[in-house]
Amino acid sequence: MAWIVKPSATQEIEKRKKPYVTDKMAKRFETQIIPRYEKKQGALMLILHEIQHEYGYIPHQAMIEVATLLDLHPGDVLDMCSFYEEFHTQPVGKYVIGVCQSIACEVCGHQAILDHIKNKLDIEPHETTDDGKFTLLAMECLGACEGAPCALVNDDRHDNLTIKQIDELIDNLPD
Amino acid sequence: MSLKEPVLCKRIPTQPWGNPKDRKIITYDQYVKTGGYEALDKALGMEPAQIVDLVKDSQLRGRGGAGFPCGLKWTFLPEPDGGRRYLCVNADEAEPGTFKDRLLIDYDPHLVLEGIAIACYACQLDTAYFFIRGEYRHQAQVVENAIQEAYEKGIFGDKGLMGGKSKFKVECYLHRSAGAYICGEETGLIEAIEGKRAWPRIKPPFPAVEGLFGRPTIVNNVETLAALGPIVEQGAEWFKKMGCESSIKGPPSFGPKLMGVSGHVNTPGVYECDLGIPLSTLVNEYAGGMRGGKKFKGAIAGGISMGILGPDQFDAEMDFDIGKKYNVMGLGTACPTIFDEDTDMVAVARNIARFFKNESCGQCTPCREGAQWIYKLLCRIERGDATSKDLDLLLEIAGSMGIMPGTTICGLADGNNWAVRTIVNKYREEFEARVRPSCVAVGMTVGTS
Ligand SMILES: Cc1cc2nc3c(=O)[nH]c(=O)nc-3n(C[C@H](O)[C@H](O)[C@H](O)COP(=O)(O)O)c2cc1C
Ligand code: SF4
Ligand code: FES
Repeated sequence: MAWIVKPSATQEIEKRKKPYVTDKMAKRFETQIIPRYEKKQGALMLILHEIQHEYGYIPHQAMIEVATLLDLHPGDVLDMCSFYEEFHTQPVGKYVIGVCQSIACEVCGHQAILDHIKNKLDIEPHETTDDGKFTLLAMECLGACEGAPCALVNDDRHDNLTIKQIDELIDNLPD
Repeated sequence: MSLKEPVLCKRIPTQPWGNPKDRKIITYDQYVKTGGYEALDKALGMEPAQIVDLVKDSQLRGRGGAGFPCGLKWTFLPEPDGGRRYLCVNADEAEPGTFKDRLLIDYDPHLVLEGIAIACYACQLDTAYFFIRGEYRHQAQVVENAIQEAYEKGIFGDKGLMGGKSKFKVECYLHRSAGAYICGEETGLIEAIEGKRAWPRIKPPFPAVEGLFGRPTIVNNVETLAALGPIVEQGAEWFKKMGCESSIKGPPSFGPKLMGVSGHVNTPGVYECDLGIPLSTLVNEYAGGMRGGKKFKGAIAGGISMGILGPDQFDAEMDFDIGKKYNVMGLGTACPTIFDEDTDMVAVARNIARFFKNESCGQCTPCREGAQWIYKLLCRIERGDATSKDLDLLLEIAGSMGIMPGTTICGLADGNNWAVRTIVNKYREEFEARVRPSCVAVGMTVGTS
């Protein structure tokens, strides 16, 4: 759970002319997602997933647009984005590598894997490489403890990791 | 006392009946060919109340962690008043060490969907949300496809259940979460579906009376729902032949159970066993024994919240009595993580404390602050910088947080409490060897004790 503390009163929100929630997206949300819920706010989580899928993160302007679409206060949307770990409010790398650090993975040697990736990419967990290619995360149990140590690379999970395997994996990801 | 035939794993090859390498996703057609949706067909020929009674008779207990009798929970629902009523399928499965629901979702999603349809009909719930954790990305796709198949075949949707066999209509939607353990707590889950922070609610009112969007709501675990089809098909008596009676005159633990073994064993994985199987049998006969022939040192009972089974508790029976008999919180998810003799228990405690520190939702001060302090103290002990009074303080803070001491809203803090206290108490010498003696005795009280 991230408690993000920022001077919100003085924070500048970057704005662009073109909306993040395009008409096409808005239409789809209105016909396919919003009707599934008794109150519009219920659609918020799925809509944020879609926005993150489209842009890689959830820009502040998009939060305001989503708030308008769902008749919410922008703060309600920020509340969601800051509470859930999977939602990024800043751009992340093209590949997000999430190494599990929970109990089964720790006793099966996750530290060596994590250290190796840290050295190889020269970043700490929750940092992104300068070229924007990789973001490293230390995650909690991925629900794949039989394959400890394991990691998620974007949508794919890799089990029973060894240093050799992680090298091959990282080296073979296209730019 | 091992299960004769797989029940939940009927279509999923699992040792000792099949080879996990042969697992593939069961599509709707394959599911129906092997007897799928026959239970729903049978259920729709019964009165809803009859199904509730059947589930009550089977004494099925919730598989999500608390072991609450499923049929009893259903009876807490008020009579239908024409408004919406909800089922929330708890597929959050974020408890470290737990990965049993994933097996069902990965390979046999229709077994769960059939259970959903039965539960919705029995309790007259018109909308089901399949709440799946964000990290299950591939699995979300599998469920989405299965739901779509089910709609195409008329199981859910406008015509009524099973293409109109019953006029009762059920809608089923996938709801993807976004990475927060606390969404597993049933009222946290409800808040998350409502589009808010997953802050657990103060109970009562319980969800059955006032849940999602203020309407009657049932929250059930994936495995609980998956057991409904077999129960409807083969009856309560058949179900009660599996599992065991309580040996301490408590409520019984009937039925098969998925148990996910991880950690220092040769073949970690999910196995389907009778409730009541000794942990040592589970490890030696199912999970291939201890890795490298090492000695057993301890095991997380069933997800880290439950606390630890000590070196002398290898033969503990895995049933709902385990809490009272072996001084852990309970059976939890029945997914033990096994530690061998080389494991550093201080590091285990520190790892667990870090988890709870990261995942506390922050509403209750004892949980939010206590989890931080427990983690800091354990890091200090691990580094060798602590004195023995830190150890006392650690136990005092841990013991003061949770629903049971009455200081927090939800059970996450109890998990932290039990995990830390049982590890320190069962491996006290290991902790004492890491701390320096302190000269001053302290009599400080933190929270209620
Ligand atoms: C902190 C916390 C986390 C929980 N996580 C889960 C979970 O991931 N999956 C689950 O099925 N139940 C979880 N539960 C239990 C649920 O609150 C609830 O008891 C369960 O979903 C009820 O379903 P059942 O009766 O079918 O077991 C959790 C409870 C607490 C207090
Ligand atoms: S006990 Fe912890 S997780 Fe549960 S509501 Fe309180 S602060 Fe949140
Ligand atoms: S502990 Fe790493 S996947 Fe469960």
